[in-house]
Amino acid sequence: MWKTIIRRVLIMIPQLFILSLLIFILAKQMPGDPFTGLITPETDPNVLEEMRIKAGFYDPWYVQYYNWIANAAQGDFGQSYTYKKPVADIIGARGLNTLLLSLLSVILVYLIAIPLGVLAGRYQESFLDKSIVLYSFISYAIPTFVLSLIFVYVFGYRLMWFPTSGTVDISLDAGTWEYYWSRFYHLLLPAITYALLGTTGIIQYLRTEIIDAKTMDYVKTARSKGIPMKKVYSRHIFRNSLLPIAAFLGFTITGLLSGSIFIETVFGYQGMGKLFIDSILSRDYSVITALVMLFGFLALLGSLLSDIILSIVDPRIRID
Amino acid sequence: MMKKKGLMLSSVFATALVLAACGGDDTETTNEKPVEKEGTATEDTKNDGATTAEAPTLPEEVTNDGEVIQGGTLKFALVTDTPFSGVLLAELYENGYDADIMDFMTNSIFATDGDFLITDEGIAKLDVDADNNKVTVTIQHDVKWSDGTPLTADDVIYAYEIIGHPDYTGIRFDADFQNIIGATEYKSGKADSISGIKKIDDKTVEISMTKVSPAIYSGGDGLWGYAAPKHYLETTPVKDLISSPQVRKAPVTLGAFKLDKLIDGESVQFVANEHYWKGKPKLDKVVLQVVPPTSIGEALRTGQYDMASSYPTNQYDGVKDLENLTVLARPELAYSYIGFKLGKWDKAAGDAGLNITDENAKMNDAKLRQAVAYAMDIEQVGERFYQGLRSRATSLIPPAFASFHDNTLEGYNYDPEKAKALLEEAGYKDVDGDGIREDKNGEKFAIRLASMSGSDTDEAIVEYYRQNWKAVGLDVQLTTGRLIEFNSFYDKVKADDPEIDMFMAAWGTGTNPSPLGLYGEASAFNYSRFVTPELQTLLADIDSKEAIDAGYRADAFRKWEEYMFEQATTVPMYFRTEIIPVNKRVKQYNVNYANDSMDNLHLLEVTAEDPIK
Repeated sequence: MWKTIIRRVLIMIPQLFILSLLIFILAKQMPGDPFTGLITPETDPNVLEEMRIKAGFYDPWYVQYYNWIANAAQGDFGQSYTYKKPVADIIGARGLNTLLLSLLSVILVYLIAIPLGVLAGRYQESFLDKSIVLYSFISYAIPTFVLSLIFVYVFGYRLMWFPTSGTVDISLDAGTWEYYWSRFYHLLLPAITYALLGTTGIIQYLRTEIIDAKTMDYVKTARSKGIPMKKVYSRHIFRNSLLPIAAFLGFTITGLLSGSIFIETVFGYQGMGKLFIDSILSRDYSVITALVMLFGFLALLGSLLSDIILSIVDPRIRID
Repeated sequence: MMKKKGLMLSSVFATALVLAACGGDDTETTNEKPVEKEGTATEDTKNDGATTAEAPTLPEEVTNDGEVIQGGTLKFALVTDTPFSGVLLAELYENGYDADIMDFMTNSIFATDGDFLITDEGIAKLDVDADNNKVTVTIQHDVKWSDGTPLTADDVIYAYEIIGHPDYTGIRFDADFQNIIGATEYKSGKADSISGIKKIDDKTVEISMTKVSPAIYSGGDGLWGYAAPKHYLETTPVKDLISSPQVRKAPVTLGAFKLDKLIDGESVQFVANEHYWKGKPKLDKVVLQVVPPTSIGEALRTGQYDMASSYPTNQYDGVKDLENLTVLARPELAYSYIGFKLGKWDKAAGDAGLNITDENAKMNDAKLRQAVAYAMDIEQVGERFYQGLRSRATSLIPPAFASFHDNTLEGYNYDPEKAKALLEEAGYKDVDGDGIREDKNGEKFAIRLASMSGSDTDEAIVEYYRQNWKAVGLDVQLTTGRLIEFNSFYDKVKADDPEIDMFMAAWGTGTNPSPLGLYGEASAFNYSRFVTPELQTLLADIDSKEAIDAGYRADAFRKWEEYMFEQATTVPMYFRTEIIPVNKRVKQYNVNYANDSMDNLHLLEVTAEDPIK
């Protein structure tokens, strides 16, 4: 198994290299540059021109690429043109925000989806099952930004149960209990929105697996041994039905950092998704490339993790 | 307050996915009015010629009844989809939102009047000795920084030394700044100080310049309008300033409020600056928060904020009838225009490039251009699509410049008959009888228009104008066949793309009305590429020494505007009205450029603990 893991990690290097080349060239192909938005009639075009020269925008692409990759290899992704800060600092701060939001969302997803999936599978064709299936189809069909807008409008502005933007109330001092509560409170509404939209896959997989499992031989054996139905579900069926969910766990873990553009935009939450779209719109090359590299790395890592997890939980699967 | 922000504008300032579905039923749900709402507003419209012509129904000032409370916290929404950068030093920032934040604690040392010209009312006064190309900046009051240290001439000079420093990488070391004698030598490291800047005494600084023009009063010619706290910043090397906590986390400032706490890209808390030179502010705190344009209407309706940095005009419907706020309005420092491509930018010519007008350019016929302008029903568009918040622009100087904007200019009013007559005269006749005019040689004639995409109404507006043009027999096609995204649009316009005959764009003018930077021979932003000796003379006259006399200058502006009207190479389309909703618990607020409440933040008061819902 270790051999496989090392091999997979080594393959990542050329994969990431190709990704870096692609994203670098594509990013530079976008019309405009980070200085386009700085133009006022009072801005001296010569100053902007000089800034472009200093930033190396007129060098041949392979020179620019070499400079970038050489620094990136040492962990230096450069300065953001928009924020005038090292890219790593920005991604660090935004990453933490996104991580917190995603963690809470994922916990909520599992809390909602697993019981619903199990119930739907167990009481197949019942009214409960049909309601759950209907819910999961609706939540699958509804666009993220629509639900976010509805939620922020209803629960934020109309009922005023939740704060509508930001990550924390600025009047509180960091470190106090109120401060952490405020952070959590700010997370809740976006996390619930995220969670309600993210349950479909898990509900459907669980439901199907449980329905399939009901007819399996091992269930019949267990029943004929006289084990109560309740126990058959909780001990035998449930564990087996979780396998496909475990298969996604790797992606779920690495996906914690990718953020959601829509939810973060609507809730004014400063996370990775918003950072990504903002950097594209403002042509903040250094942030764009660093983020794509990070997302690419996470996706590769996610697939590896998923394979490893699967091999642990399902003894029939062996990686070698 | 002098601002050098303002941008190459996209077709709408803020494009937003609006909470539209939810906006319609506002009236029926606002019935839970809190008790403190007995103070119904007495609105007090200030009449001010130029501005009322634009948005006659909206006042510039509001005074609300109600008992003022002691202290209080003002809640301010910074309306943006992108977070602010947090570079909180006037010399270094490049992001307009950072400027909005700095407004509360500004280091600005000059006060300005309704034309954005420097007056004697500020921390410092300006004396101009035009004959000797010298200016003197004198600190008039005993002013202290927010940490209690007195403001001195050294702080005024230090601001110049930051911008002029060899390690400075920002956008402010420009041609203007190099007008200061010795700035270039200091920049290249050949000199230890800027030789043209002399400290006379602790309160006085003398600055020698290569030339002094009327722009000096708008903060041009290299004059810098801010002080930088030398005692606080000098220990940090200039190249590290931008990432230093002195700039980002705990700036020392001169304004009414000082920074207390900041959450990156998200919110800022200010507290009253007890050392403020005009007196300690009446409010205890100001809390500023980033709010996406999508929800600002709702946020204001539900009383989460007292006011907003800006409000998307296309969401005006969402606030206009709300009872908990007053919508104030003022003209924006901007105009939209339609430009005609008449030549090319030659990078190699002159010192750093020149505009070269091409005699044979397709659109090089003043009558044709005038006809295009007369054919457009701009008023209708302003009313229908912008709820009257855009009005037909009559000249290239927006009405925000109270005494330079000339109310008597007519501009191109909607007159299709005149357009047709002009086209006939110029020889554009419909030869084959298909309703579309052919060119002077009887060949098929289509004009290619480049226009920006932005809001959902942009498409409809452009279509409307195309019908206008068709009605006078002009076939107008879109460059690339559709609206063009902001960045690509300016890329194409800048590069004089041969696919563009005319283009719709907008300029934020900044506070200096001088048109040289946009229409000069050596100006890369002169996107029409239109240059004539007459135009050069007219432009030079506006910025000449004689024009330091305001009357002379107004006259020079008028001559230039009339010339531009005749030539019609850049046709002004809209003047824009900026709307500023203010919650009714704010005792008094004024958005008039001459008496802007943002310049007198220490006087702000509120009549309730929280904004009225």
